[in-house]
Amino acid sequence: MNTTPRVSEATLDERRDLLLSHLISAGYERAEPAILQPASVFLDLSGEEIRSRLFLTSDHAGHELCLRPEYTIPVCKDYLASASRGQPMGFSYLGKVFRSRPQTSGESTQAGIESFGRMDREAADAEVLTLALEAVLVAGGPKLSVTLGDPGLYSALLEALSLPAVWMRRIRRGHARGQTLARIFATSANGSSADHSGVLAALEGVDKSGALALVEDLLSIAGISTVGGRSASEIAERFLEQSALNAAAGVSVEKRQIIERFLAIQGDPDQSSAQIRALFQDAGLNLSAALDGFDARLGFMAARGLDVGAMRFNADFGRNIDYYTGFVFEAHDPNRANGRAIIGGGRYDRLMAMLGATVEIPAVGAGIWCDRLFADQNGSV
Amino acid sequence: MTSKDNFVIAVPSKGRLQENAAAFFARAGLQLVQGRGVRDYRGTIAGMAGVEIAFLSASEIVSHLASGSVHMGVTGEDLIRENVLDADARVEILTPLGFGHANVVVAVPQAWIDVKTMADLEDVASAFRARRGARMRVATKYINLTRTYFDQMGVADYRIVESLGATEGAPAAGQAEIIVDITTTGATLAANALKVLEDGIILRSEANLVASLNAAWTDVTRETARRILSRIAAEEDARTSRQVRAFIAGPRARLIEDAAKTFAARAPFGTNADGPLTLICPKAGVPALADWLVMQGAEHVTVETLDYIFGARNPLFDKLIARLP
Repeated sequence: MNTTPRVSEATLDERRDLLLSHLISAGYERAEPAILQPASVFLDLSGEEIRSRLFLTSDHAGHELCLRPEYTIPVCKDYLASASRGQPMGFSYLGKVFRSRPQTSGESTQAGIESFGRMDREAADAEVLTLALEAVLVAGGPKLSVTLGDPGLYSALLEALSLPAVWMRRIRRGHARGQTLARIFATSANGSSADHSGVLAALEGVDKSGALALVEDLLSIAGISTVGGRSASEIAERFLEQSALNAAAGVSVEKRQIIERFLAIQGDPDQSSAQIRALFQDAGLNLSAALDGFDARLGFMAARGLDVGAMRFNADFGRNIDYYTGFVFEAHDPNRANGRAIIGGGRYDRLMAMLGATVEIPAVGAGIWCDRLFADQNGSV
Repeated sequence: MTSKDNFVIAVPSKGRLQENAAAFFARAGLQLVQGRGVRDYRGTIAGMAGVEIAFLSASEIVSHLASGSVHMGVTGEDLIRENVLDADARVEILTPLGFGHANVVVAVPQAWIDVKTMADLEDVASAFRARRGARMRVATKYINLTRTYFDQMGVADYRIVESLGATEGAPAAGQAEIIVDITTTGATLAANALKVLEDGIILRSEANLVASLNAAWTDVTRETARRILSRIAAEEDARTSRQVRAFIAGPRARLIEDAAKTFAARAPFGTNADGPLTLICPKAGVPALADWLVMQGAEHVTVETLDYIFGARNPLFDKLIARLP
């Protein structure tokens, strides 16, 4: 790229402009969502933990509003409300986001892109990562080192192992809470199920309607007529689940070992792919479709001129699979050892449906933390 | 309006809390005098110059304590924990006052017979979200207490629905699945077909005397605090202990040592051999101490209630001073 001489003298604003123009010129139309957003959508999607970081206010009708804490959800919402909803579209953005953190001003500048509605997922993944890395270079930033992950592969593995639903939930929750696998598998009994051993024993081998009848009897004996929030059949099903857990004692050692071996894989992306393939073959799991997608993505990245061999894959990265559904990536400045990620992003195919889309709309995006990118570079941040 | 040497105490402005707070100060010999008529929101303490009483609502008291515009206040720990960010750095809870008892609890519908603990709730919450695609709703006015406790107990799949009154009715009204609310007897919860989880008590709260660490702590206001707290401490000590007297012949040093070790009794006037032996003992230990004294040879043991026990040491003031710069 021939822009270096000019960039080195550019002001911060000019660098941001260069970054944004690069994204726009690649076909990503600039989105400018409202700064003031309904708070509920962020709380619904991210959980109450985010509340303490939101700048909250309310309108005259008492609706809770917040300053946008990020761009992805507002850009998705505007797209879903627009006439081009459902069509393949790319958006770019650059502006302030607001998160309350002690000892900070609470506002920072974020840039990024979102790609919606493309069914050629692997090509879109590669394009988004490439574009974000290029934009940083165009703006005079350093060459970043990239870490890749794929929680989609992990999901597929858990699915293929056909674990009981309650264990699937536990593993997902455990990862979200940052627990180790050993810790997750160490939780044996389910809540207070020990206290309900009589009920659970009575339910062994009973079918759904039998369980429902028992729960309804128990409620009527206790004189409870109103059931709030959960239906009697939901309660019956949980008893059945616990009864099954008591009988079968959870996840087999073999399955645990497969999960542990998978999460330990890291290093060169191509070699990691081969290792995963070998692991799945050993375990007799047919997941070649998911792995073919992984390899195809690496191919698209190489075709776009990225040095895949210099990147690092980590199976453990992005294992918190609540939000991201597939490809995830992070890029750091290798010269700042303890620096936080400058680029972060990934595929989030479920989000549009959570926001009310009635058709499947795949989505992938990347965010660029401009303040981290430009910090210490020309002394003006 | 107030000089920086003026000492301000915030006291609840209405209801049972006001009566109880006034009674508490009165027991300590501090008569709260409300200005011309009950509608005046400023007052004084009889015979104590430089002290101003501010009669305020419960939530105002908390915010004044946090900002430092009052020196001390009477308020519930629940309100402090809920409304003051980083409370331990901004206020010091000096002493519980023995009234205004209430617990902040997690309550679920009684029909949830499979849910007894927070661990059950965590499991149910995540299944709820997986099944319905929406998070379980928790109605409460204690947003921060709820968030901190649920986080500590590992419950993540929930949404808070802010509720500013009649929270216990929210599940029946379909506005939430469960609630976090304050309760004294649990009767209101039961009337609404709700039950408290076994480990669902977030906070056992009562009214407390609370000092603001951000207030203007001049030499004068510190001295005022010392005088007020010495009376409160003297009354508190007297209220929670009894004076026990007995005549026992012979040397007393060993006797007093044993009484201290076994009954936490102390001898305020030392081992002086003249007259009866005088001990101060925590209320609950009095019968056992009396028994023991009889076994040591006492013919009679008398027990008296004291009005005040003033001492050279002032534990409440020491607690405050230790936190001030």
